[in-house]
Amino acid sequence: MSKLLLLRRATEEDTPMADPSPYSDANCDTADDTRVRADRGSPPSAPRWVKVFGIIALVLILLVVILHLTGNSLGGPMGHGMQLP
Amino acid sequence: MLTAHVTFAVGWLGAVAGFLALAVAGLTSQDAQLVRAAYLAMALTARFVIVPLSFAPLLTGPVLSLGTPWGLFRHYWILVKLLITILSTLILLVHMQPISHLARVAAEGPLSSAELRLQIQMVVAAAAALLALLVATGLAVYKPRGMTPYGWRRQQEQRRALQRIKQDEQREVTTV
Repeated sequence: MSKLLLLRRATEEDTPMADPSPYSDANCDTADDTRVRADRGSPPSAPRWVKVFGIIALVLILLVVILHLTGNSLGGPMGHGMQLP
Repeated sequence: MLTAHVTFAVGWLGAVAGFLALAVAGLTSQDAQLVRAAYLAMALTARFVIVPLSFAPLLTGPVLSLGTPWGLFRHYWILVKLLITILSTLILLVHMQPISHLARVAAEGPLSSAELRLQIQMVVAAAAALLALLVATGLAVYKPRGMTPYGWRRQQEQRRALQRIKQDEQREVTTV
C-alpha cells in the first residue's frame, strides 16, 4: 500500500506542481503548442516554442561564427590574444 | 534551496542591469573622469558580483530540479534555462579579459579612441546578457509546457507501475 501511495504521489507530482494546467495530460502535453497529438506509444514532438528557441539560437550562433570568420567580431583589436592582468 | 536559487538568479539579473548602465555611461559620457570611474566599477562588479552570481544558479538549479519531481532533463523549459545559464556564464568568462583591459587602461588615464570597439562590445554583451537572463526568468515563472522524450518515458513508466500495483490490489481484494 505504501508503495502504491509513493508511486501515485510521484506520478501526480510529476504533472501539476505550481501550475496544474500544463501537465494535466502528459500524453497531449504539447498538443496546444504543436497542434499535433502524440500517439500513446511514442513521445510527443517538441513544442513550437522550443523549435522557435532552437532556430533563434542557431541563427545567433551562425551570426557570431560568421562575424568571427570575417574578422568583424566585436572582440576588437585586443581579440583573443589579450593578456590577463 | 528555492529561495537561494531565486535570490542568485534575480541578483545576477540586477547586477547585469547595473553593469549595462555603467557600460552605456562609459561609452556615451563626455566626462573623462566619469568614463574612467565607470570602467573601474565595471571590472569590480564583474569580478566580485556578476561572476559569483553566475556560478551560484549553476549549482542551485540542478540541485533544486534533481531534488524535486521536475527533474533536470524532463521538461524543455528547465533544459533551455540550463543552457541559457551555461552559455551566459561562458560568455561572461570570455568577456572578463576585455573588462579587465578596459579597467587597466582607465586606471592609467583617459580612454583613447582605440578602445571604442571594446566599449561598444561591453554594451552589446551586457544588453544580450540582460535579454538572455530575462528570458530565463520568464521561463522559470511561466514554465511553458513540453516534456522531453526522456521525461515522457519516465512518466509512462511510473504510470504503468501505478496501474500494475492497482491491479494487484484489486486482485487481492477479490480473492479475500
